[in-house]
Amino acid sequence: MMKKVLFAALLLVSVQFANAQSWIPVDKSPLDQIYFPVDYPSLKIRNPREVLRMRIIYSRPFKNNRELFGSDIVPYGKIWRLGANEATEIEFFTPAVVGGKKVPKGRYTLYAIPEEKAWTFVINNETDIWGAFKYDQAKDVARVSVPVKELTEPMESLTINFEKTKTGVNLVAGWDKKSASLPVTF
Amino acid sequence: MVVLKRVSLFFIIFLSVFFSACNGGEKKPSPAGADTPFVINNKPVLPPSDRKNSYADVDVSPMDMSYYPPNYPQLKMANPGLAQPVLRVIYSRPHLQGRTLFHDILKYDEPWRLGANEATELQVYQNVTVEGNKLPKGRYTMHCIPHENEWTIAFNTALDIWGLKFDPSKDIFKVKVPVTHSNPSVEYFTMVFEKNESGANLLMAWGDVIVKLPFNFNQK
Repeated sequence: MMKKVLFAALLLVSVQFANAQSWIPVDKSPLDQIYFPVDYPSLKIRNPREVLRMRIIYSRPFKNNRELFGSDIVPYGKIWRLGANEATEIEFFTPAVVGGKKVPKGRYTLYAIPEEKAWTFVINNETDIWGAFKYDQAKDVARVSVPVKELTEPMESLTINFEKTKTGVNLVAGWDKKSASLPVTF
Repeated sequence: MVVLKRVSLFFIIFLSVFFSACNGGEKKPSPAGADTPFVINNKPVLPPSDRKNSYADVDVSPMDMSYYPPNYPQLKMANPGLAQPVLRVIYSRPHLQGRTLFHDILKYDEPWRLGANEATELQVYQNVTVEGNKLPKGRYTMHCIPHENEWTIAFNTALDIWGLKFDPSKDIFKVKVPVTHSNPSVEYFTMVFEKNESGANLLMAWGDVIVKLPFNFNQK
């Protein structure tokens, strides 16, 4: 009797698991995108002349009570996908200048090498790739080292934002109590 | 039999508790929310842990993407030099949250953006066809009109747009695909590619509805 019950229960549980796995569940580090100009898709409805410059597509891991920078999650001195899952994607819809280098219009990946006081942002040619596991420096398009800013309020989920400047835009990445800005001009 | 059901129910509850306990002692502010939707006054809200993000909050209908071949980025990691992917769809995933798909959320014969927020985007990496219609390499948006027994799917050239402003004059073509009902319910709108004989189907599932949109890779 008990064996039958056990078997039936296990079967039910496994069927539940099988069902859960047959469709992709929502990721615990959900994907997100940000345009520059910010909110371009709705901005465009009000102002069709707005020029689209950039878009970032990235997954947003949560801090989840963990130590992040300098720990195993984001070790110092190592290339990081600046997100979760797939390598973070950066698309330029017009030519741009990053760290003094001309970046032609197109799709790229965006990484960072965080250190205690500075982050190096890296733009690379290899797209549609998982993480930074097969990162190849020979395919770099630009590398820029910038100082780290300490935030007063910790940020639970990794966030990439664009802040307009006089000459272009700063791509601002922040997580926990750290943030770094990559200047881009057009 | 009733006793058996009760015993197995108890056992399942025990197992579920056991499994969730194994999933980590720490509290997970899961944005997935499939098991614990954050709902206040019938309105979906963000996980409490993330309400204070001063830059950009995590969306209640999170974005996701699917490639063909499935899991292409992982495949490429394992096989450097792998040929380009064929298709990628980027979409936001609304969820039922106790509502029925028809007609709490969608209505028959009324257009839908096939997702949430921005228009759903399809990246086509090589020339393909859909029901005999040419779909050249490039980026497109997709939208649909659900009917009871078939869905009209449109491919549009307006990009980077919010999903409520579709310009039908920018449709490059439309196809009609069959729909099945009474499938096991899916909480979050899901798009995923599966191999078929001549290419791949884009499976779209939400509630008890499944729609399959076939892409042909042989006809260019």
